[in-house]
Amino acid sequence: MKLSHQVDWSTIVSRVLLFSLVWWVLSEGNAESVWIGVAAVSFAVIVSAMLLPPVPLIWHELFMFVPFFLWRSLQGGVDVARRAFHPRMPITPELLDYPLRLPPGLPRVMLANIVSLLPGTLSATLNREVLKIHVLDGEAALLANLDTLEERVGKVCGVSLAPRHEDE
Amino acid sequence: MTTSDYLSVALLTTGGLFFLAGTFGLLRFPDVFTRLHALTKADNVGLGLTVAGLALQVDSWAVAGKLLLIWLLALLAGATVSYLIAQGALRLGIRPWKR
Repeated sequence: MKLSHQVDWSTIVSRVLLFSLVWWVLSEGNAESVWIGVAAVSFAVIVSAMLLPPVPLIWHELFMFVPFFLWRSLQGGVDVARRAFHPRMPITPELLDYPLRLPPGLPRVMLANIVSLLPGTLSATLNREVLKIHVLDGEAALLANLDTLEERVGKVCGVSLAPRHEDE
Repeated sequence: MTTSDYLSVALLTTGGLFFLAGTFGLLRFPDVFTRLHALTKADNVGLGLTVAGLALQVDSWAVAGKLLLIWLLALLAGATVSYLIAQGALRLGIRPWKR
């Protein structure tokens, strides 16, 4: 079978390590199941190599992204809980078009998923160059936050952002 | 009860409050998009706090890792499914509710 993308050894090694870790977690370190684990991990690595091109994650950026993500999603939960419990239910929803600067593929999917977990924003449609975002409160300073988030996702994925045309 | 038990109780109770908030939002918010906001965000924080509270009670790293894995998979599933529902609603021509 011919792959549409190159898979190098570092990708294979990191996926073997990742799936072995997942197997160890799932089997709770049970030594008796190790042979099933070897088969499952090998199969998972082969399938993932066929389906998913190498993801050049920048590990230290990912490491710094985790606390940012946890804190912001906690804020997201608190924000939506406050609005849900509030007697007058303070929401002014809107649909925004966010012009994307990230390159297509995994970085964009990652951004779309993270947007849905952060305060007040929900990804609705990922078009060619635009992410449609439903916002819970149109008055909040959302666009600046989205710019920051997109820049951070770009750093984690090791990709540069396309310049934005201001006249659009 | 030890300190970690009290911490577990606090985390689990707070997690439960977030699930309650998600349900409140689901019932009170006016349309499919705003309800998705309530479910994805409040439930993810609720599950995260529940997982953290339970992780304090386990005595092996593998079980703690399993709890973390459950949370990560629920995050991924929640974000993906809410995206698909929102996209489907827009395609069906459902207009977002406006004040």
